[in-house]
Amino acid sequence: MKRLTYLTCTLIVACMVAAMVGWSMAAGNFLIPVIAIPLGIIVILACRAQVDIVIADEREKRIRSKAALRTLEVVVIAGAIAAIILYSYVVSVPLAPIITGKLFLNDDGTQSMTIAEYKPGSVPGPQTLVRSTTIRNLNAMNESEAMTYCTYVREGFLENENRGLAGMTIGCILVILLATFGAFYLYYDRKY
Amino acid sequence: MKNRIRVLRAEREMTQEQLAELVGVTRNTIISIEKDKYCPSLKLGYRIARIFGVGIDDVFTYEEDKDGPSTDDG
Repeated sequence: MKRLTYLTCTLIVACMVAAMVGWSMAAGNFLIPVIAIPLGIIVILACRAQVDIVIADEREKRIRSKAALRTLEVVVIAGAIAAIILYSYVVSVPLAPIITGKLFLNDDGTQSMTIAEYKPGSVPGPQTLVRSTTIRNLNAMNESEAMTYCTYVREGFLENENRGLAGMTIGCILVILLATFGAFYLYYDRKY
Repeated sequence: MKNRIRVLRAEREMTQEQLAELVGVTRNTIISIEKDKYCPSLKLGYRIARIFGVGIDDVFTYEEDKDGPSTDDG
């Protein structure tokens, strides 16, 4: 078996196993992954045993280790920058949207409130207004107005919170990646 | 690190593919070694020398860089 045939077989088996595992998860059948994953590994190992040429020699291994190390360096640096930038949306005041609330006294003596959201880091004004809503009678707000009142600030910051969450996720992945690298580094450091 | 693999191969009318198969590496590795782009391990160096029936010194020659000993592993 040639290298390309082996790689094609591996790819097909991996796709089939992934599809079966995905389908079984959706169907709630957890027995299939237990069978499909070891079966896939056995098929791939059987294919590998049929390969009659050298798949990976010392040069290939050195290239892979260097490529892996460079990938780790680039991903860690770029990921750290991305994580900090994304998380700064949560903790940085200039990046957060400006939300203002103004109380008005109506002619009938009731109070109304206008909540307005402006673009982050801008001076509140008509040009920088993103959206606004008015609660006509603050002391007798209906359900819809109450919900608007409750969710307005939350929605305003939702985009920033999502970015912060993405930043934290990237940060956690980087920590796991570095911890795994450190564990393998210590293992090989003891081995050699 | 300079080497005489191409010359030794030509003397024995051996192709890169044949040498690669004998030493258990890919043809790309032999090509890279011949072009001095890849410095083989000591083990592979000895295997290549043994295939040609010569000493490792007859195949590989260590040359120090102008700036001093090379630290790059190829």
